[in-house]
Amino acid sequence: MIDAIRRRIPAYLLLAPGTLWLVIFFVIPLYFMAKLSLDTEIPGTLHYQFNWHWANYKEALELYDTQFFRSFFYAAVATLLCLVIAYPLAYVIAFKAGKWRNLMLFGVVAPFFTTYLIRTLAWKTILADESPVTEILHAIGLAPSGHILYTGFAVIAGITYNFLPFMVLPLYASLERIDVRVLEASKDLYASAPSTFLKVTFPLSLPGVVAGTLLTFIPAVGDYVNAEFLGGASNSMIGNVIQRLYLTQSNYSSAAALSFVLMAVIMVVVIIYIRVAGSEALMGQEAV
Amino acid sequence: MTSPGRPRRKATVRVGVALAALLATLVLAACGSGIEGPVTVTVSKVALEKKASGDLVISNWPLYIDKKTVPNFEKATGVSVEYKEDINSNEEFFNKVQPQLTNGESGGRSIMVLADYMVAKMIKLGYLEELNHAALPEVKANLAKNLRHVPFDPERQYSVPWQSGMTGIIVNKDKAPDVHSICDLFNPKYKGKVDLLNEVRETVPLVMKCEGVDPEQATEADWMKAIEKIKGAVSDGQISRFTGNDYAQDLTSGNAVAVMGWSGDAVQLQADNPNLEWRMPTEGCMLWSEDMIIPVGAPNPTAAEAFMNYVYKPEVQANIAAYVNYVTPVEHVQEVLKKTEPEVAENDLIFPSAAFTKNCSPTPTLEGNEEKNVLKAFDEVLNG
Repeated sequence: MIDAIRRRIPAYLLLAPGTLWLVIFFVIPLYFMAKLSLDTEIPGTLHYQFNWHWANYKEALELYDTQFFRSFFYAAVATLLCLVIAYPLAYVIAFKAGKWRNLMLFGVVAPFFTTYLIRTLAWKTILADESPVTEILHAIGLAPSGHILYTGFAVIAGITYNFLPFMVLPLYASLERIDVRVLEASKDLYASAPSTFLKVTFPLSLPGVVAGTLLTFIPAVGDYVNAEFLGGASNSMIGNVIQRLYLTQSNYSSAAALSFVLMAVIMVVVIIYIRVAGSEALMGQEAV
Repeated sequence: MTSPGRPRRKATVRVGVALAALLATLVLAACGSGIEGPVTVTVSKVALEKKASGDLVISNWPLYIDKKTVPNFEKATGVSVEYKEDINSNEEFFNKVQPQLTNGESGGRSIMVLADYMVAKMIKLGYLEELNHAALPEVKANLAKNLRHVPFDPERQYSVPWQSGMTGIIVNKDKAPDVHSICDLFNPKYKGKVDLLNEVRETVPLVMKCEGVDPEQATEADWMKAIEKIKGAVSDGQISRFTGNDYAQDLTSGNAVAVMGWSGDAVQLQADNPNLEWRMPTEGCMLWSEDMIIPVGAPNPTAAEAFMNYVYKPEVQANIAAYVNYVTPVEHVQEVLKKTEPEVAENDLIFPSAAFTKNCSPTPTLEGNEEKNVLKAFDEVLNG
């Protein structure tokens, strides 16, 4: 038995740096945030005192429900768009790219060589009122007001663009793992190309779909850069609200409460999603 | 499961948890949030050394000084200056440094430049050092008469104006030729092409002026009514967005044709794009100043005061004024510029006459509950 413990010691040691990191940069800040979210300000001093002020939560939910729904809506649409755009791309890279595969993968990752902020700001130029893109979209009837920048459409476009690689890479990883012999077997059994895709390829790629959608959706809900630069006066997301509460209103308690609510809601959504989609994905994996 | 090894394993886990907790306490003690719990700050008057020397850290807004003043000051005094352009918004900067100030630390900064209302708030919170006027003879001699006694700092014990300016409208002359008033910004002809400022103390009073309310006499109800009007215009799609300096980009790229904007910015924008023009709204403008202050715990206040004094020499200030194009708070600068750069000296936006600004109002300082309610209501509009 002592041997058994000895054998575990390396495992604990290996876990230590990660655990320490998590404790210092996640658990402790989380504790502070939880405490802050139940504080009230001593009037006129900017000092906060702890007094179990649950009303912060109630207020956060009542005042900012619109921005909550908007965040989830924008994130959901952007995630779907990412999936629709990324799936064929990942498919091509995995099965059809041949010698171009590495170059195409590099193409997917290349935008990361420029900072997130600059890439988002570039979209301001692309979508500006007098840009060719806007004029063409206007001409073919996709932008009836001739106005794209500072609308919800621009925010969703920005999020979709910025998070696309997070969808492509997990999809590619799971598609690439598929044994081509399984696909050949499907063909041998007279399955048509579409039914091979629907019955074999797609189910086998589900772990990638689940991972990709989570990697896109979760940060997208809390994103504020896209709404800040590409959104207008009625497109704030919950991240923008939290930022303003903290940095312009000095309302630390509400900001903390709102962050907790956001975290809780995302967690619930993700758990439901994994329950529904994840179990199937796991079964898909077993089928390999 | 009842094997003898089990309790020991638990013990290991317990030790681990205990160690983590210990570490946590250490970390907590080391950082100390600064937001929670009352801390008393003792305000002191600047104690002067005989001669300015050493290092000086200044925090200011971007493009708010010419290129020569800092090196010239260094040469003249031997002080080594680290000049940071790290202020982009009064509120954001304040909230960034507030946890340090509340502990009596300035984060190494000896001079900050912030708007009147923020300075007023910081005086009340006890975040500023009291100036020693003995080292500020140039300020005493040359500070503009109308800025010597301001309500929030009647004897200028804490603040020395850096620059002043006017908030009015900036238009694209071709695309919005008939915008001359704040009310015109609400003309449906310019739907979706109008930006307002995200500064509550400038945007809302200007809209009040359009409503015929004098911001200096305004009640909380007046503030709320003006905010309602803005909110309505946002939901009609009239207002494209709320901006800081970044309205400049919207104007040059054609996303906006008329915005609320600052006088000095307009002078600089005009140089690049002659189509853009700052206009004094028919209802009048908002007047503001930004002040140099010495935060509590500031290292080397002697050098800080030396710098304040230095930029109040008219020939030094002339360089700053000619570069930043705001309204200078230093007298006799116009005389200097008449000789060196007459076109700057003639500019109404840089040296506005009393007649030009007769309908303008000072930026109001909101207080207490009124401030809370107004900020909350305005933020609701900003949050859409």
